[in-house]
Amino acid sequence: MAVLVLVLLPAVAGALLFLLPRDDVRASKTIGALVALATIVLAVFTRHQQFSATWLTRPFVSNLHFGATSISWWIVLLLGIATFGAILATNVSRTRSFIALLLFLEASMLGLFLARDLLLFALCWDLMLIPVFLGLIHWGSHPATAWRYFIYNFAGGLLLLLATAAFGLSVGTTDVIGGTGVALVGPWVPWIFAGFAIAFLVKTPVWPLHTWMPLTYADTPAPMISVVAGVQSKAGLYGFITIGMVFLPEMMRAYAGLFITLGIISLLYGAVASLVQTDAKRVVAYSSLSHLGLILVAIFSFNPIALVGALIYIVAHGLFSAALFLGLGYVEEREETRSLVRLGGLGAANPRLTGALCIAVLAALGLPGLAGFAGELLMLIGIFAAGFAWAAILGLVAVVLASAYFLRLFQGMMNGPVRPDLPMRRDLTWIEALAVVPLLLALLVLGVNPHPLTTFNTAPYLQSSGGGR
Amino acid sequence: MIDSLYGAADWSAITPLVIVAVTALVVLLMDLLLGKRVGRYGAIILGSLGLILAGVVAAGGYGLHQTLFGGAFVLDGFTVLFEEVVIIGALGSLVLFGAIGREDRVAGATALLLWSATGAMLLAGAGTLLTIFLGIELLSLALYCLCGLAPRATAREAALKYLLLSSTASGFLLYGMALLFGATGSVTLSAFAAPMLAASPLFWAGIAFFFVGIAFKLSLVPFHTWAPDVFQGAPLPVTAFMSVVTKAGVLAVLARVAYSALPPQAASALLLPLWVVAGISMVVGNVGMLAQTDLKRLIGYSGVAQVGYILVALAGTTAFGLRAAIYYLFAYTLMNLGAFAVAAVLSGDGEEGTQLAGYRGLGHRRPLLAAAMTFFLLALAGLPPTAGFLGKILILSAGVASGYLWLDALLIIGTAISLYGYAKVIGAMYARDEHRSPTTPRPVVPLAWASIALCALALLLLTFHPFASSVLP
Repeated sequence: MAVLVLVLLPAVAGALLFLLPRDDVRASKTIGALVALATIVLAVFTRHQQFSATWLTRPFVSNLHFGATSISWWIVLLLGIATFGAILATNVSRTRSFIALLLFLEASMLGLFLARDLLLFALCWDLMLIPVFLGLIHWGSHPATAWRYFIYNFAGGLLLLLATAAFGLSVGTTDVIGGTGVALVGPWVPWIFAGFAIAFLVKTPVWPLHTWMPLTYADTPAPMISVVAGVQSKAGLYGFITIGMVFLPEMMRAYAGLFITLGIISLLYGAVASLVQTDAKRVVAYSSLSHLGLILVAIFSFNPIALVGALIYIVAHGLFSAALFLGLGYVEEREETRSLVRLGGLGAANPRLTGALCIAVLAALGLPGLAGFAGELLMLIGIFAAGFAWAAILGLVAVVLASAYFLRLFQGMMNGPVRPDLPMRRDLTWIEALAVVPLLLALLVLGVNPHPLTTFNTAPYLQSSGGGR
Repeated sequence: MIDSLYGAADWSAITPLVIVAVTALVVLLMDLLLGKRVGRYGAIILGSLGLILAGVVAAGGYGLHQTLFGGAFVLDGFTVLFEEVVIIGALGSLVLFGAIGREDRVAGATALLLWSATGAMLLAGAGTLLTIFLGIELLSLALYCLCGLAPRATAREAALKYLLLSSTASGFLLYGMALLFGATGSVTLSAFAAPMLAASPLFWAGIAFFFVGIAFKLSLVPFHTWAPDVFQGAPLPVTAFMSVVTKAGVLAVLARVAYSALPPQAASALLLPLWVVAGISMVVGNVGMLAQTDLKRLIGYSGVAQVGYILVALAGTTAFGLRAAIYYLFAYTLMNLGAFAVAAVLSGDGEEGTQLAGYRGLGHRRPLLAAAMTFFLLALAGLPPTAGFLGKILILSAGVASGYLWLDALLIIGTAISLYGYAKVIGAMYARDEHRSPTTPRPVVPLAWASIALCALALLLLTFHPFASSVLP
């Protein structure tokens, strides 16, 4: 029952927010932040709890079944921290509505990562598009981006839905996530896999289905995109791990070459594109494409070390990309531009902002001692050990490129002579700092001690082939 | 005399129909005797009570399986569910007269709407060709008058267009019926399942004409062009009624014929053209929707596609497919009624009231209304947390289970296209708007608000309550 409360709490709180006076920004932010904190606390205490209620009995059994798995629990914590930061960092018109949207977004994503039922997963998959769409429509800079995001991802969601229907009909139940895996057999399997795979690839995104992503990441207000880039982008990877590896291992292995190639292309394409962007948010957007490509390669290498690395990196990437987008949001608010051509020399007047961005950038380029390093290292070792030496080498190239584009980003903005034509507003307030500090602390803690993330049982995900049902 | 022919069971089976038809008479009488003293709400409330009573009585027939009036009327779970859809649809449209429409016309409109609903309820249980024709004509004749009710040129145009095209469709239907009678020597639907008919060219021709007539009435492509024009011209409650009740009644006929009135070995070949038409409708209807600037036209095109979705569920003629279709029909009824109720609250019955341009910035002017509209539009697009989402997965499952994957594929393509059409309205409501029109005072319209609340609540309940998959027959 507590799990159900966890999922519904942000949604209900978001709706109740509208009872507050329209202009009371402080109250909206306080309540929103408290709710986000409450979800973290609840998530900690409900790690091993579940909630289940009957939903459908025909044509297949589906249950309203929520409960964290050993993998999703970490992503849920990440989501709580990211939402907390996003709410505190919010500085837009119509704050009340925006925070309500952030809470709806959190609820839908909590539902997604806590869902133990595939149909419920598919429901939340579509649900989490709506707050982002509304956010882009009202607060984004170009309405066209909202359409691109919504229609692209909705089309993926429809394929997921069709695959879920076929899955349910062939297995008889969709209440399977986190259960002991029994691989799917039958004539439908390739089609089911294709449906899931395309939906996951669009969401992640992976080249060549990424075209919605740079625009969305650049146009969405920073607090919302920090949650989307940090956590929502992990939905597809999470799906590959908990659904693909467990129920469709043979298809996953059969097409591993294809997916690893796609991952490598994303990795290199993202890195090279990142090097030449002049929009700071787009640099991070393309870096995301690159990093998530590496996680995809790690997943498809079917190696326990790579899988552990993938989980660490999923969490680490969520933390540092959320921190990066929040930091870039602060820069944009202060200097009214995010063009690397115009920015420069901010470090002189903004030591706190510079420090925060510095840690996030160092984590992103994989500096030892921060969480990104452990994940990257384990993934590369795992990929190499699994026999994809070429992929590991190309991955290493991308890691080097990451240093280049992230340092270009950081130095371009913070170092160098002070630009007299920039407004140069004052440094972070303590509330703005409080928004990023938990993310940076978590990066540091997990960087020094990634052990807790490595203790989950990888066996269900790495079975050689299933018994059939 | 009549009593000796038909027993008490016969009459009790059609009690709901009688209640609705008699209520219409009482409404007219009340208007005649009390006139202005009861106002428009008198007619609406009396009509609503009659419909609710009929709904309760009809629900009592659930679980029965009887063939009555010498086969002319069949009472089973299928009949009851379709009757309930019709009653809900009629109720949801009727209350909209409270928000718009002129005082002096409401009583007459209420009576016509109730008679039209009676026709649709008759279709739900029709067991012979004659009952089908009777039901369709009762449904349509009342609608011709209702369409022309509003005192403007577009309404007259709509009425005339509907009259001409619908009569043509009835002609096709009647001709098909004549051929069917020629081939079988019977008007009873159950006689058409005889295996030897599969070889009769006359029978094939009869079914073809029959389906053309049905496709006209359901506004399936290529017989859909009348729908947007008529929907736009008719008064808003009548549009709501047509978008829901007409489709439900005709779908009931189609489902009964497809499931139980065709020779088994020829059924799939006979029905194939219908599924092809459904597939095309899903794409054409949704593409047509994109360019619309008027809510009623948009719903007209969207209805073309939505009927296509329902037909996907019926395509395999499986028991589960029928369940999925009925589930989706309930959901479709509620989301359409909800959207129309929002439109009714927003506008008097002027042309400008349903112009999509009028929805710009609604999220700031009337947040609650905009939220409700968003919810119903999301439902139409098949997004959670609405019954539209669950309906889609049930239909997709039915398609997968019966092997009509190409229909599923067309459904997905159509739905992806439709998102733009529906979300365009949502986008307009929440767009940043520099110039804000001042909030104008609006008359209080409790019935329309009640309808909005009930539709939204029902759509939520249908999504998450397990009864969705257990109550259906």
